[in-house]
Amino acid sequence: MAIINIQDLVKDYDTNGIAVRALRNVVLTVEKGEFTAIAGPSGSGKTTLLNIIGGLDSPTSGTVHVVGKDLAVLSPKGLSDMRLEKIGFIFQAYNLIPVLTALENVEYILLLQGTGKEERRGRAMRILEEVGLGKEINRRPKELSGGQQQRVAVARAIVSEPELVLADEPTANLDQKTGAGLLDLMHELNHRKNITFIFSTHDRMVMDYAERLISLTDGIIVSDEKKKSRREGAVITKPKKMKSKR
Amino acid sequence: MKIARYGKNMTIFMMISWRNMWRQKRRSLVVISSMAVGIFAMIFSIGFMNGMTVQMVENTINTTLGHIAIHERGYQKNMKLKYNFFPEERYYRALERSNLIKGFTPRVKIKGMISSSETSRGIMLMGIDPEREKTVSSIYHYTIKERGSRYLSDASSDEILISKYLAEKLELEVGDRAVFRIVDENKEMTGFAMRIAGLFESPVEAFDSSVVIAGIKRLQKLSGLGDNVSEISVRTKNKNAVDAAKEYLIRAIPDSHREILSWKDMEPSLIGYIELQDKMIYIFFMIMFITVVFSIANTLIMSIMERFHELGVMKCIGTRPSHIFFMVVFEAVNLGMVGLVAGLVITVPLVLVLGVTGIDFSFAIDAMRKWRIGTMVYPLIFMKDIIAATVTVLITTVVASLYPAGKASRIKPLEALHFI
Ligand SMILES: Nc1ncnc2c1ncn2[C@@H]1O[C@H](COP(=O)(O)OP(=O)(O)OP(=O)(O)O)[C@@H](O)[C@H]1O
Ligand SMILES: [Mg+2]
Repeated sequence: MAIINIQDLVKDYDTNGIAVRALRNVVLTVEKGEFTAIAGPSGSGKTTLLNIIGGLDSPTSGTVHVVGKDLAVLSPKGLSDMRLEKIGFIFQAYNLIPVLTALENVEYILLLQGTGKEERRGRAMRILEEVGLGKEINRRPKELSGGQQQRVAVARAIVSEPELVLADEPTANLDQKTGAGLLDLMHELNHRKNITFIFSTHDRMVMDYAERLISLTDGIIVSDEKKKSRREGAVITKPKKMKSKR
Repeated sequence: MKIARYGKNMTIFMMISWRNMWRQKRRSLVVISSMAVGIFAMIFSIGFMNGMTVQMVENTINTTLGHIAIHERGYQKNMKLKYNFFPEERYYRALERSNLIKGFTPRVKIKGMISSSETSRGIMLMGIDPEREKTVSSIYHYTIKERGSRYLSDASSDEILISKYLAEKLELEVGDRAVFRIVDENKEMTGFAMRIAGLFESPVEAFDSSVVIAGIKRLQKLSGLGDNVSEISVRTKNKNAVDAAKEYLIRAIPDSHREILSWKDMEPSLIGYIELQDKMIYIFFMIMFITVVFSIANTLIMSIMERFHELGVMKCIGTRPSHIFFMVVFEAVNLGMVGLVAGLVITVPLVLVLGVTGIDFSFAIDAMRKWRIGTMVYPLIFMKDIIAATVTVLITTVVASLYPAGKASRIKPLEALHFI
């Protein structure tokens, strides 16, 4: 079953009485394990689309099913719980809770989910090592570089092995090389753990990493293509058979 | 299961709020110190009031009230000479038997007039047994023992003790004779003169200005009371033993003509005063802490504005509104508790030291004596005062945080996210 199923999605914003149509009749399905980029110029509706999928914003019309649930019928608390249990979020910058260390930031999600202390610590440490921050676990965000902070955000997004990770321009604040490193990491995690990734970008280099590229212009999907990731086969040795851990 | 998990989550929010508190050190320290100053003012003035009240009660007990008194029924309502009784041997045996009781003494109390060559005044002549009296009241300690002034030597001599205050008013000195007029047991007016053996000075103005002390046997004879007394005044081992000792005496002396009363029964206004004072002080501090409420609320609102973005992030990744709510409440409580501890660390040692050394109020001696306090005040704090301070701080901080916490918990994640 598709992890995301969107039918006739319309989103209007009302600014001072002037309606702005951010999304027009979007129809979209995403399958489990996809590594999808949403590309488009500024103002094309990328963030709006991701926010609606993440239950942070509500559609003007149309239906959105995420992980088998119709978002329209969920209460605010239900949406909050869904975000906690099923979705990992990575934002453009300032993703982390400033007063918590890298380790605590990653543990935070597991803690809200009610995971026991031992397991929580172990899993958070392992993930931070996987994202290459084994030595920085006790640093606070402001003691980490922008790239390192984004890696912690990735670690936090995937530590509970969610169904879906939504990343809105995760590399926008990073230089080319750091951005590429982060995408490598996301791609590898996508393959190893079979976690669905959807990220937005207007950066050519980032689009090259995607296995599926959806292009938005003025709130309309103008193209949707399956393609080969730039790095596929080069860095990542994809296991023959992927199985979700759960 | 769900609730247990929810509760376990609280520790992380307590930790976050604790760390958040220290992000704006200076701002938090302003709130903490205003809290500490509030606590200082509160504990110190409560300690001061407690000290005054305890001394007021002690001084009243130490002059004439005693802890418990045995009277002829009716005496309490109308302190007339006719309400006298014969102190039976079994009373004394009962008093001696109890280990709650430290001492007891018979007294005679007669209203009369004292005159010198200059003037005369209405007073109360109190006949005491000089040795026994030492076990009950502090009259012996109040007696000046220099420049010829001394305590009464025995119960039948023709000597009196008079306060320094009365001596000055009547222009009398040690060794002078004062003339008394009383109405005796047979309703006859009699007069007699007695020599001043010594002067005394108590912390209670009312006592000094109206009581003259003489030997009990001498007064019994002069008033025609024979062997009868006005009261037996009793001192218990400590103040907490008073009620038990009173119960014991009521059972041990089952005589319907006797009235056995504790100091609380005899001076109900003193208890009323203490209760009123307790209430007043709490109302006063509630009002004072209202200003603290605003300062805390203000700080919290500023903090929340600054952390708008991260609150948005927290909500986006699945933090419940109630978690955010408690986080803000915890931050206020943290501020309050740190302020409380700081306040207590300053105040408690100070009050303890002053409780031993006392604070000298001799510059306000007249007022102090009117209030039966004495010239030194020894501040005193009880556990209940510390608990009251803690509860006050808790209530204040929680109340202060409700509005900011509600605001923070209702932040729309998306709007907050845009806000960097
Ligand atoms: N909260 C809002 N209120 C009013 N209009 C909005 C709001 N958010 C987005 N819009 C409008 O909706 C349209 C799509 O915005 P969106 O942020 O989704 O674009 P985007 O593709 O993410 O752009 P960028 O690449 O600049 O991030 C824009 O025209 C924008 O002005
Ligand atoms: Mg955007």
